[in-house]
Amino acid sequence: MKKEKVVGLEGSFAVSEAVRMANADVIAAYPITPQTHIVERLSEMVAEGELDAEFICVESEHSAMSACVGASAGGARVFTCTAGQGLELMHEVLYIPSSMRLPVVAVVANRALSAPLSVWCDHSDMMAVRDIGWIQMLAENNQQAFDLTLCAFRIAEDNEVLFPTMVHIDGFHLSHVIEDMRLPDAEEVAGFIPDYKHPFALDPDKPVSMGCYGPPFIYPETKRAQEVAFEKVMPKILETWKVFGDRFGRYYAPVEKYRMGDAKIALLTMGSYSETAMLAIDELRAKGEDVGLIRLRLWRPFPFKEFREAVKGVEVLVVLDRCVSFGMGGPVCSEVKSALYDQQKKPHVVGFIGGLGGRDIPIEGFEYMIQSALEKVKAIERGEEVETEMIGIRE
Amino acid sequence: MEGGYALYTMTKKKEETDLFVPRLVTTEENFAPGHRACIGCGEALAVRHVCKALGRNVIIVNATGCIEVFSSVLPQTSWRVPWIHTIFENVGAVVSGIESAYKARVRKGKIPDKNVKFVGFAGDGGTSDIGLQALSGAMERGHNFLYCCFDNEAYMNCLPSSSLIMTEEGLKRIIELKKGEKVYAFDQKNHELVVKRCEGVFDNGTREIYELRTLHHQIEATPNHPFLVLKRSGRGRENELMWKILSDIRPGDMVVVLKDLGEGEPYKFDPIRKTVVGDYKVTHVNEIELPAGTSPDLMKYLGIYVGDGWTRVKKGEIGFALPEGTEERNALIQLHSDIFGNSIGREDEMYVYINSVNLAKFIDHLGFGSGAKDKTIPGWVFTLPKDEKESFVAGLLLSDGYKTGNSSRYVSASKELLKRLRLLLQTMEYRVGKIHLQRKERGTVCVDRTLLKDAEWGAIAFSKRNAWNTEKYLSQYKYQNFLIESEHFEMEEVKEVRAAGKEPTFDLHVEDAHNFIADGVVVHNTGIQRSSSTPYGAWTTTAPVGKKSIGQATWKKNMPEIAVAHKIPYVATACPSYPFDLMDKVKRGLEIEGPAYVHILSPCPTGWRSPPELTIEIGRLAVETGVFPLYEVINGEYRLSFDFTDLKPVREYMKPQRRFRHLTEDVIEKIQARVEEEYAKLREKAGVK
Repeated sequence: MKKEKVVGLEGSFAVSEAVRMANADVIAAYPITPQTHIVERLSEMVAEGELDAEFICVESEHSAMSACVGASAGGARVFTCTAGQGLELMHEVLYIPSSMRLPVVAVVANRALSAPLSVWCDHSDMMAVRDIGWIQMLAENNQQAFDLTLCAFRIAEDNEVLFPTMVHIDGFHLSHVIEDMRLPDAEEVAGFIPDYKHPFALDPDKPVSMGCYGPPFIYPETKRAQEVAFEKVMPKILETWKVFGDRFGRYYAPVEKYRMGDAKIALLTMGSYSETAMLAIDELRAKGEDVGLIRLRLWRPFPFKEFREAVKGVEVLVVLDRCVSFGMGGPVCSEVKSALYDQQKKPHVVGFIGGLGGRDIPIEGFEYMIQSALEKVKAIERGEEVETEMIGIRE
Repeated sequence: MEGGYALYTMTKKKEETDLFVPRLVTTEENFAPGHRACIGCGEALAVRHVCKALGRNVIIVNATGCIEVFSSVLPQTSWRVPWIHTIFENVGAVVSGIESAYKARVRKGKIPDKNVKFVGFAGDGGTSDIGLQALSGAMERGHNFLYCCFDNEAYMNCLPSSSLIMTEEGLKRIIELKKGEKVYAFDQKNHELVVKRCEGVFDNGTREIYELRTLHHQIEATPNHPFLVLKRSGRGRENELMWKILSDIRPGDMVVVLKDLGEGEPYKFDPIRKTVVGDYKVTHVNEIELPAGTSPDLMKYLGIYVGDGWTRVKKGEIGFALPEGTEERNALIQLHSDIFGNSIGREDEMYVYINSVNLAKFIDHLGFGSGAKDKTIPGWVFTLPKDEKESFVAGLLLSDGYKTGNSSRYVSASKELLKRLRLLLQTMEYRVGKIHLQRKERGTVCVDRTLLKDAEWGAIAFSKRNAWNTEKYLSQYKYQNFLIESEHFEMEEVKEVRAAGKEPTFDLHVEDAHNFIADGVVVHNTGIQRSSSTPYGAWTTTAPVGKKSIGQATWKKNMPEIAVAHKIPYVATACPSYPFDLMDKVKRGLEIEGPAYVHILSPCPTGWRSPPELTIEIGRLAVETGVFPLYEVINGEYRLSFDFTDLKPVREYMKPQRRFRHLTEDVIEKIQARVEEEYAKLREKAGVK
């Protein structure tokens, strides 16, 4: 019998519990809405002695990530968390752990970017860091926030991986919402996350030089090596999720399907809105429509194989982006299109942008997207050009 | 090491470096030799000292900058201790992370406590500008680490490769100059001609250059090259000289130029190996007496040779193109027998031939060149006595020159010859006009001759200058011409400054005399680019010297004081010129619990434009002048490491660094006053009466 208890926890607290159970050594973070509750809870844990870690109250996110880099190079299990502007301030340093193979784990409470100032959720911040060599995964609810954070430590610190990992939870929708969730026993978790040992940590007994200078004669080789290493990440992620499922009974996949059985029309979402989308699918199914939902759990590395598998037989794929790539539509939509480009048989892809800066998308919003997409497909078949529509805008 | 450490602490007051060093300092080099730092780099030296003091039980975090670049080029590394570099501005944060990781892991029993030390390295930018926030955060949080700031700077500027520099051995191209040669310079104090030692020539790459032209001189230089310009102080007041960069010079400005090099000495020739009977295939040699040194006659002879002569060394022939019955031919024949004691070989209507392999060798050896377009005036001619130079000019005039009224005109196909002749005449109190270049097509009648082929040549006109009547017009001329009483220099009005394309450029270092004479004009080289730590008054490209600016107009950010304001337990300043003091401070900073900050002045010959062998001396001068006092602040208490009751003048520190060379007396005095004031404050803090 598995030892676990059902508790009502805020998303931020769920993440904090995961960090506590993972027994992180060093936490360096700077508070920013909507991540603040994670920092507060963690520092409380450290102060109460519930978590034996060094909590570095850095003076900025830039220094937060820098301190994480240092701590990780020093061989510690490292955690940080941030959101929106904070992630952008970290940006320069984010390349360092991925290039130097330092398994920092970060939770990002997704937040819109200024201007105008918005502390509410969208995916602009996570899309801005998609090309920097971090593993990126998304949670839809507090249970997943907890589970994925735990898994992130095991994935990142696997000596065949050693890449930093980011778990995205939607700001406020997850970070500030209390849900019931299953909290496993700490001992169970300890068995799941092995002791961490970086093979080349900074140690006076075994001196190494990290972060050397790479003139043109060697820089491309270092980048190629990084790419080759990153290609080995996917099997490890799958393996970890499998082990996690076997141990705790909750299985995760890079691309998850909901009522996709014979679906001709598929909706693709990421993050917390997936649950609202599920309700919309249920309603449409009740009306007898062949619709299903695809949720991207893993954003980097992009799960090409699993995604193509998921859309087999789908005729129309409706993609929701919570970010604008100005002049190009939505980044997820364009990514999805490029993943399908080489396929013989591929669905029509219709992109929508919505939920920017915390704007809600109700169930009707998803229903509208599907209806509208069908009309757009007719227009596409007539040879007309279809633009990415931004939904829920007051004109 | 440990015993030695105590010993050097005892002796360090004296800093008797050469006496006990081998026994006082570990021979272990944790910062391995073979890195790529510049020659004379104070920073590399400081890093080496610091690493000796740190020992092996450390982890070093390095900011982006010189140290990282010269020590860690993949796939090599100079670090025998664990070392990490990430980015420019986060050393404070990374070192916090590593220290925290160590603390947590030791506490959790994951690793044994081996008392590992954590050290941050950064330059002045990585510390006091972009990296200040991270450092401030780390100091405020009280991590147990030592932070070393290696403080230095950067710059640039120069002359094109064709520039001719006046040296004691005559005129030389800038690229021919070697370290140690003596060059002429202008003594700004007494307005006299002085001789200074060249300390090296540096290649500065191909750059955009400007041409400055006065009535009698022209010179090319980079736009930021400083020239000595007259600053009129107004009626009734003494005029002054100031340095002004080329791009700020306007027509009408007066620049200092060379007028007269003074009396020289006859030149002794290097003996040549004469061909003698018995050499390979030699059965007969025309005997000839070769002179050992110059004389007026020989110079006149050579003057004619430069105009109309040629040599065929292999054939053993000297020839002169002098038509029969001319004054020139008669003069030449007379000179030849006077000098060499033998007669001309053969003559015809147009030419005179002398068959002597040794004479041919001799003349070839003197360096006048052969062939009309390649003729030149070798540098040694500039060192001759005035009468010999005059004879040389007379010889030139006999061949390719002519006189019109008071002025003479000389024509030649060799531009180099004309350029050098112009400079030669300018050392002999002649006024010389600019070089007029001409191009004529074949068949044109020119100076009684019809040209047989297309020709290009140039001409200069010159005349002996009349002495100023200083008795009659004393005050007036003094106003017009600041250097009227100078024997060797005068002022000339700038006629034009224009862009002159791109050329390879070089820069010359001259010992303390701050200037030299290039193409007859007094110039000097200075310049740096602004950094946060650029001291007050230093000339920079972003804060150039001009009518309304003295260069860097703000005082250097006082980083050690900023560190002190964080109430950290240990702050110190150090310099690799005082190695024991430096190592002592590093050790102390390392042992003290909590953040320690050591600010290390690291002279940068490349950046400060100072001779690389003077790195140590400049560091010492910085300390001895009070510009960079060495002190410690232990738990808020100040202690002077070296106290000087009599500070040396700051001028001595600035002298070997060309980044300060434009500074006028009043600015230097201002700096002096500020340095003294700051030093007095520091002494007060340290409780020294």
